[in-house]
Amino acid sequence: MQESRAAAIGAPNHAGHEAANDPAPLFVAPKERFLEFRLQPTSQRAWMLGTLGALGFFGLWELGHYLTAESARKFLPSVEQVARALYVLFSERNFLHDVLISCYRIFVSFFAASAVGVPIGILMGCFGNVRALLNPTLSGWRYLPAASFIPLLLVWFGPTDLAKIALLFIGVIFFLISLILDNTRAVPKELVEAALTMGASRREALTGVVVPAAMPTVLDSMRNMIAVGWTYLVIAEIVGAQDGIGAVMMRAGRFLNVDTIMAAIFTIGVLGILTDVLFRVAQHLLFPWNVERRS
Amino acid sequence: MDTAATGTAPPLRAIRISKEYLGGSFKALDDVSFELRENQITAFVGPSGCGKTTMLRIVAGLEYPTRGRLEVFGKPVVGPGPDRGMIFQAYTSFPWLTAQKNVEYGMKLMGIGTGERRERANGFLKLVHLEKFAGSYPRSMSGGMKQRVALARTLAQNPKVLLMDEPFGALDAQVRWEMQELMIELIEREKKTVVAITHDIEEAIYLADRIIFFSRQPGRIKADIPVDFKNGRRYQRKEELVRLPGYADLEHRLFAMMREEIQETKTA
Repeated sequence: MQESRAAAIGAPNHAGHEAANDPAPLFVAPKERFLEFRLQPTSQRAWMLGTLGALGFFGLWELGHYLTAESARKFLPSVEQVARALYVLFSERNFLHDVLISCYRIFVSFFAASAVGVPIGILMGCFGNVRALLNPTLSGWRYLPAASFIPLLLVWFGPTDLAKIALLFIGVIFFLISLILDNTRAVPKELVEAALTMGASRREALTGVVVPAAMPTVLDSMRNMIAVGWTYLVIAEIVGAQDGIGAVMMRAGRFLNVDTIMAAIFTIGVLGILTDVLFRVAQHLLFPWNVERRS
Repeated sequence: MDTAATGTAPPLRAIRISKEYLGGSFKALDDVSFELRENQITAFVGPSGCGKTTMLRIVAGLEYPTRGRLEVFGKPVVGPGPDRGMIFQAYTSFPWLTAQKNVEYGMKLMGIGTGERRERANGFLKLVHLEKFAGSYPRSMSGGMKQRVALARTLAQNPKVLLMDEPFGALDAQVRWEMQELMIELIEREKKTVVAITHDIEEAIYLADRIIFFSRQPGRIKADIPVDFKNGRRYQRKEELVRLPGYADLEHRLFAMMREEIQETKTA
């Protein structure tokens, strides 16, 4: 249509010697490679590749088991043996109780760390004076290995829940504060200035602009830090606990029940993924404005 | 056009404003005074580093001068306030609020009730041609649309002076042109006193009734030029404006001043 009109007003025929009515030949693009820059796989293919990766992992594991000498095989149990151990844990040894105890410790301590760390991080991100007041001290704390507090916490609190929760709290909060400090500083200063020129008070600018602007990245920081929380949980439970996933692993270790240890590790992995999903869902529900929407 | 004779205080008066840094060894602004006239559009033009942005931010109350003072309709002002609405070059529409809620935000700060707020927000969204996007979040909007949300939000507060810091600087040429035409339309309708910073000489002549040209180091007013070839009219169509006698002369004059400024610092 357009071409015929172009011809009618005497425009040059860009198709050259070929007839204008034929469609131009298809462009032959070079073959797509597996390692292709800028390529985003379709969601279907991403699922396929993800499954392939997981299968590869279990395959290697299984292979490792069968390549191990018969006498040492119990130290690298097969996938089925670990699965059976997992089943036994839940069906016969009330593992669910340990899992729930561990989850309780994680969530209580992480909630406490967030309740303290998020406001401090936001205040430090907003106000240079608060930053100057707290940053040197908090930076020092970040370099203290949380595990080094275990003896102290045991002396103070004994082998109680409080000791474990305190360890998680110490292990998480200082990094959480520094991440949230960065999240808050990343809020464009023009947003605050715009609010001020509209007559917002300092409090209104803080609660009405800085907080909502920083919240999505703050939630991301929390998601990353709760993963670190799991690390400290296991350490705490291994050192001195009667229950919880770490305690189960420690006990199994004493009897060389490698399959049970692996089943417990696997459980932690699954719980980690579930936590991650929980945070992502929360992100979508709480901050729909931050989600790319295609319509 | 000239309302100075009535004797009422001007919408904005800057009196001997200086901004010094490093204990006075660097002067971003040196003894700058000017008055805005009601319903006039003034453009601040000048080379980079001439202090025009500092001047605008001082007027907005976001920075404080070292010397001098500011008056809005004769009353001294310190700090920011909704009597001086500001449009920034960066997009400042709040991403967590819909266009509608963004426009309502400023009115909410002023204590306007929900019903009136909604009604007025609708009106201003219509004014900037965004009534169909009232429920959309800024994320799904183009740069021009975000800037129109910011404009509606500021106008909805009915500021006495509208300050604009290169408001169209981040937009591409065509959107920029559309926004400039929209600005003329809005200002004609809303009767606003406006100060707009621009690097763009063509934009200054198109929008402004008066151009204040800043020179740099120290920042001073080099020239205060009435755009009188428009004879008090505002032309929405650029193609009409550029054919008026006087347009080319003014453009030439401004370009020559700009070159003078650039060369001065080259040889300095």
